[in-house]
Amino acid sequence: MRHPFVLPTSRAGWGLLAAFVGLVLAGTWPVIGLFNRAALMFGLPLMIVWSYVIIFACVAVMLIGNRIVEGDGHE
Amino acid sequence: MNSVWPLVITLGYVAMTMAIGLKARAGHRMDTLEQWGVAGRSMGPVTLYLLIAAGSVSAYTFMGAPGWAYSKGVAVFYVAVYLAYLALVAWYFGPKVWKFGEQFGHVTQASAIADRYQSPALGGLSALVMAVGSVAYAVLQTVGSAYILFVMSGGMIPVWLGVIIVLGCIAVYLFVSGQRAIGRTNAFQGALMLVVAWAVGLWALHSATGGLDVAALFERLQAENPEFLTLPGARGDMSFSFWTTSIIVSMFSFMPPVWTQWMCASSARTIRRSATWLPTYYIVILPMVVVGFIGIYSLPELARADTVVLEYAMANLPVVLVGLLGAGTLAASMSSSEPFIHSVALSITKDVLQPLFKLSDAFTAKLARWCLLPVMALLVAPLAIAEPGSLVMILLVGLGFASQVLPAFIGMFFWPRASKLGVMAGILAGFAVTVTFTTVWSHPLGVHAGFWGLLLNLPVFVAVSLLTPPTQASVVERFFRIAAPRGFRRSGRALD
Repeated sequence: MRHPFVLPTSRAGWGLLAAFVGLVLAGTWPVIGLFNRAALMFGLPLMIVWSYVIIFACVAVMLIGNRIVEGDGHE
Repeated sequence: MNSVWPLVITLGYVAMTMAIGLKARAGHRMDTLEQWGVAGRSMGPVTLYLLIAAGSVSAYTFMGAPGWAYSKGVAVFYVAVYLAYLALVAWYFGPKVWKFGEQFGHVTQASAIADRYQSPALGGLSALVMAVGSVAYAVLQTVGSAYILFVMSGGMIPVWLGVIIVLGCIAVYLFVSGQRAIGRTNAFQGALMLVVAWAVGLWALHSATGGLDVAALFERLQAENPEFLTLPGARGDMSFSFWTTSIIVSMFSFMPPVWTQWMCASSARTIRRSATWLPTYYIVILPMVVVGFIGIYSLPELARADTVVLEYAMANLPVVLVGLLGAGTLAASMSSSEPFIHSVALSITKDVLQPLFKLSDAFTAKLARWCLLPVMALLVAPLAIAEPGSLVMILLVGLGFASQVLPAFIGMFFWPRASKLGVMAGILAGFAVTVTFTTVWSHPLGVHAGFWGLLLNLPVFVAVSLLTPPTQASVVERFFRIAAPRGFRRSGRALD
């Protein structure tokens, strides 16, 4: 292999990797600290709302990933 | 609680699960590990979705998570976040693991490790040590099952008898139908849990607030006990560092039953489709957690936080819902314990006994089914009945080890140069640190013990790999044609 490690081979692949890393960062410190307030949104604690934002963002990123992976016939 | 209905409903659930598990065989012969171990790699996206979802939503969701909400607050949502991340892990790795299994004939995680590093010893070692965590996990779930039967029967079914009933049922349908039983029963249990969680959560909310608006509950918490709405939680023990490192360690713990479940899919695309929608299932945690928050004011003097939903239901909900709660909680614990029991029997037979005694494939397949019985009768049942105080510690150490196997997977998916000795050295170094920081000095600086283990494990793994011979090129090429097909094509040209 050209690189000693497996890395994305297309711009879309790099974008997907960045989205995955972004999702993990969104649910951990220090980002989680921004939402660590005793505030309510839609009647729910902000931390709960943010947790579900992350959950649905994971679904959205994987849906986009399916289009990328299956779109170029690269299973 | 004087009504007999909760027990009738709960036992009715057990009977239905038994019937579904037995019927799951559907005429297939169970004399090969392809069938008994991975259901002939035949599961469609809906079954796989419910199989993985129900397997990961354990009794913790119905008992532990509301208990955490009751005692700590929103800190419990680290579970929802890491479960969503596990779906990302399944999305990326699942299709590759499936292809390994399909092309190289793997039926267990340890088989894949032994094959990649050409080392049956490394495969056997990982099978054995993963078994420690798996057995401890199955025992905890079995204890939860027996406790539910004890409560639903008003004490008529003692814990020892509950353990025998639950394990007896699981043993029969696992022996007869293997992984197909796990697929069908988990699908049923997954659907049941979803319905029960929402029914109980909404009914409890209505009984506590007079409506279905959750805002009133959280506005009171915000005004009177705001510490429940933020980290480090009401008990002050869920720091940012523990939240973060717990999520990272849990995310990289590739538990063997999950690996086997990926290999049960009918195609690589099936896994990707199931994983994509998997996080939506984890909304099931929300209604149960709301009951935990309700308990803060309704049941302020509870001795055991993890009984908050059961106690609240028995005091405030109709008996039919109490029965459904019993069935749902039992479903959660059974759906999590049976894949672990199956996985231990499968992996010990395939990855330890077969290479050790040079057994034939046909005999190994037969032995794996019978191996269920000693695993249940000699390990899970006695430990569940005895409920040793160190069980949670065994589980933590076992799960800590699971994360320390990470180098084996880095060498399988990302780094061709990884060597057998590098993986072994990394695992042993990481495991020693994890054990020390679990038992002797618990989670120093509020950082998860498994994370400390990885901090030593990974550099040792890289250094020893670079100093020792790599696995033979043909084997590495075989794996990386799947793990990185485009990258490997470039390599092929370069070699030519």
